[in-house]
Amino acid sequence: MPFNPLLILFGAIVLVIVGYLLWLAYTIITSPIPLTYNFKSVIIRWRSTSATILGIALVVTVYILLHAMAAGLERSSANTGDPRNIMIVRKGSTAESSSIVMRDQFKLIQYLPQIARDEKGQPIISADLAVIINLPRRDNGGEANVTMRGVSPMGMELRPQVKLVSGRWFVPGKREVVVSQKMAARFTSTDIGQQFKTGGHELTVVGWFDGGESAFDSEMWMDADEARSIFDRENYSSLLARTANTNDAAVLMQRIETDKRMALRANFETDYYAEQTTTAIPIKFLGTFLATAMSIGAIFAAMNTMYAAVGARTREIGTLRVLGFRRRVILASFNLEGAILAGIGGVLGCSLALLAQYVCVAFDVHFGTLSFNTFSEVIFQFRVTPGLVLQGMIFAVVVGIIGSLLPAIRAARLPVIASLKSV
Amino acid sequence: MTVSTFILKNALRNKRRATLSILSVAVSLFLLVTLLVALREITTPAEGAGAELRVAVRNKISIANLLPAKQLPIIERIPGVESVTPFTWFGGKYKGEQGMSFAQFAIDQTKLHGVFGELKLTPDEFKAFEADRNAAIIGKITADKYKLKVGDKIVLESTVYPVTMEFKLAGIYSGTPDDRNMFFRQDYLDESSGEKGMVGMWWLKVKSAEDMPRVLSAINNAFANTSAEVRAETERAFQLGFISMWGNIKLLVMLICSAVIFTLLLVSASTMSMAIRERFRELAILKALGFRRRELFTFILAESFGLAAIGALVGVGGAYLLFTYGDITKMTNGIFPSFEVTPRIVGIGVLVAAVLGIVASIMPSIAVAKMSVTEGLKTLD
Amino acid sequence: MVCILFSISLLSFVAVENIVSIRNLSKLYSQGEIQVTALDNISLDIQSGEFLTLMGPSGSGKSTLLHIIAGIDRPTSGECRVQGIDVTKLNESQLADWRNQNVGFVFQTFNLIPVLTAYENVELPLLLTRLNRSQRRTQVEIALDLVGLADRARHLPKQLSGGQEQRVAIARSLVTDPALLVADEPTGNLDSHSAQEVLGVLQALRSQAGKTIIMVTHDPKAATFGSRTIHLEKGELSK
Repeated sequence: MPFNPLLILFGAIVLVIVGYLLWLAYTIITSPIPLTYNFKSVIIRWRSTSATILGIALVVTVYILLHAMAAGLERSSANTGDPRNIMIVRKGSTAESSSIVMRDQFKLIQYLPQIARDEKGQPIISADLAVIINLPRRDNGGEANVTMRGVSPMGMELRPQVKLVSGRWFVPGKREVVVSQKMAARFTSTDIGQQFKTGGHELTVVGWFDGGESAFDSEMWMDADEARSIFDRENYSSLLARTANTNDAAVLMQRIETDKRMALRANFETDYYAEQTTTAIPIKFLGTFLATAMSIGAIFAAMNTMYAAVGARTREIGTLRVLGFRRRVILASFNLEGAILAGIGGVLGCSLALLAQYVCVAFDVHFGTLSFNTFSEVIFQFRVTPGLVLQGMIFAVVVGIIGSLLPAIRAARLPVIASLKSV
Repeated sequence: MTVSTFILKNALRNKRRATLSILSVAVSLFLLVTLLVALREITTPAEGAGAELRVAVRNKISIANLLPAKQLPIIERIPGVESVTPFTWFGGKYKGEQGMSFAQFAIDQTKLHGVFGELKLTPDEFKAFEADRNAAIIGKITADKYKLKVGDKIVLESTVYPVTMEFKLAGIYSGTPDDRNMFFRQDYLDESSGEKGMVGMWWLKVKSAEDMPRVLSAINNAFANTSAEVRAETERAFQLGFISMWGNIKLLVMLICSAVIFTLLLVSASTMSMAIRERFRELAILKALGFRRRELFTFILAESFGLAAIGALVGVGGAYLLFTYGDITKMTNGIFPSFEVTPRIVGIGVLVAAVLGIVASIMPSIAVAKMSVTEGLKTLD
Repeated sequence: MVCILFSISLLSFVAVENIVSIRNLSKLYSQGEIQVTALDNISLDIQSGEFLTLMGPSGSGKSTLLHIIAGIDRPTSGECRVQGIDVTKLNESQLADWRNQNVGFVFQTFNLIPVLTAYENVELPLLLTRLNRSQRRTQVEIALDLVGLADRARHLPKQLSGGQEQRVAIARSLVTDPALLVADEPTGNLDSHSAQEVLGVLQALRSQAGKTIIMVTHDPKAATFGSRTIHLEKGELSK
């Protein structure tokens, strides 16, 4: 096994850090200096510490909110689909809009025995056509790509998480469209009764639906065959089929995957959408990068604040030493105080993030951006998870410990007599 | 000793405090500049030479819809049009990577120079591109990233067409604002994909700026009420359209920049305030000696400006040096083909530092103004 | 409370001997390029139960001597035995523990922790012992009682007058029941009335509790409260 010197160095550093943190925790737990001393010291200097606390709070808020955006994006993917459905697309295509499923392939597949049937004996399967269209946004926000989905009459039944909230479903054979309520809020001419033009034809909006916080919230639906006619397509993009049980599902997927002529791939619908998380990645990266960069500034700020605290309490420290308190206890105490300071900032930051989320949810504010997966608009909301709150707090505490380490060392090394004489 | 050396000695009294303040300012300004540059790169379309004369023609439904190849002769016949090429997105995955790390387009190899004049290849490379059917040219940035050289074989699996195609690298180009793309021949694509007769977009060059508006409307009208209506727009309009698809991102980055600036001001102002408070004693003595409030304000302002200025020098200056002389493209693995620190951005950084210098001196100045001499002198003990 | 004082004073009568023995103590240090002799070959015995006053002009080394006896400074040479233990031979940790148990220190600037109440300030040294909370409470209340400030236990230092602060500091110095109390200019920051009060407390501690008190002062009036006065000049004892 080759010994990578960089890896060894990294491992050594991690070991040292973990060791120090354990020592710190132990010293604080067994410390004779009461926690209230540190708390009171932080609070009494609130005027000079509030700026640092606020700075750390903002770092934490930025980190959490950006990651919450990413989490929101991932959630709308993860939340999509019915576990009984199988999604069939062309092998090798990454977006539904560039996938092609031929008409005769659909004819073949729809009568496969593994596909469930409704009470009339019809197979529960939808042949969809996914087309990307370009529509103008409300409030002069330019134009954006939107996913228009043509569905078969079974399409609504296959997707029970999508519910009509206003108006009615489209009638097959008519140039009618049903729009996601969240999309209607963002694009012009999408109120019920209005018309917009695409593919050279006018489409009438007859209803709004709620996608149930899934990827369908970013779509508009119409009749599949009408769509094929308007957008001049011979074939479909994908098939969505219901299976009665997991056994049938497995057999169906196997059947389709192994058919070399058709060159299709089949997944559980939930799996298919769960994989579509590429858009979240750069946002997560941005969140971590920004927070780390901002926290360097925060570390300096914490350092400054704690140096000032040590400077102001030099006589106190000397007194504690005279009374018999050891140096390492003083070190741990001041390091802890830095962590407490930053921890307060962390709590504030988490609260701000939660407040932002609450406001967005209360006022039904959503964000939209270009999805890398569908190449069209995707709508999402902040999603501040408990995991993110924990990460934010850890971030803050780490900043506090790093920032106050040097001042704490200085406090511990103050010579007793000189400290007693200081102003 | 002059007044300025007095101020200087004062400021350097606590070197550590001064250094930390400067570093804090510098780091935040560096971050601010980085954010502004990144924002500009993302939202301002890069202008290659010749961009003002180029037109992008896409399917009116959306760019994701294809156009029939038979539109070509109609467009070429429009007066004012100099050269037209198809421009078809291939969406290929390279070497089994999960995502696409560079874009590939199928074009008409004979029209390459006519439409994208700024793209530089050696005459031999141009010839090779026109000679071999499976020839491809690739931008220098991507070539460097994957260490490709002329003659290398490139295999790409398309996510749009049901094919995997093999190409031979005929040349490495540079000179465009985005030297990351790969171009190959539309006829080779037609043949391999079996999908003859459809292209992704048209890109064309008009003869002169005066021809532009006429050409645009001519193209739009030529295909009105056909099954493939088009949207013809200038290159700039096309790029801006792309950018507007990003939606709230610009707003988001603005908000973050504001948060950064706010944090910066807050933290640095409080740091400097703390420093001043330490010096109440000296300031009280000065006041007792007869220095007027106005002069004390000047001392404080000079010190806070000085610290902010040095912080700006380190932060903004450092960012400028790093991004101008460092290879950002390599560092970000090709995400940013360019990373330019414009004079405007430098100006913003300096302005923020100046505001910081002023803001940081406000609280201490107020405190000094209100301070009575005896109170300040009491801290002597 | 009287019983407690009585039992304490009983104990102190058992050991009438030299509580502090100093032999050939010298302290030199360099200030930049100059060598300063703070203490020059001092030898001194202090008896248990004495109230010793150290006087001398500024720079005479009296504070230095006090610091060495109290275990917060080290001599360059010589030895200093307190209750038989040579404090110059103890290391940092040992000194810290030793101070906690055996010395009470009173400062000119009181040196109370501003964010802690009088009670909490007095309790501080006890946090280094193994006593539990209720045992600590007993000791603190005794100490505060002794200085007459039991009713101010919950007050912060800023809510106390200078004299009261110093008395809290004295209570703190007593709370681990050390044999030795050292005071460095304890009345330097007090008005004459408070000064009298504080000196009275110190005197009472010596006469009724048998504490040995070593006080540095430059106030001749304060010195009259002591049982013996020593003069230092330029690091040497003078009579």
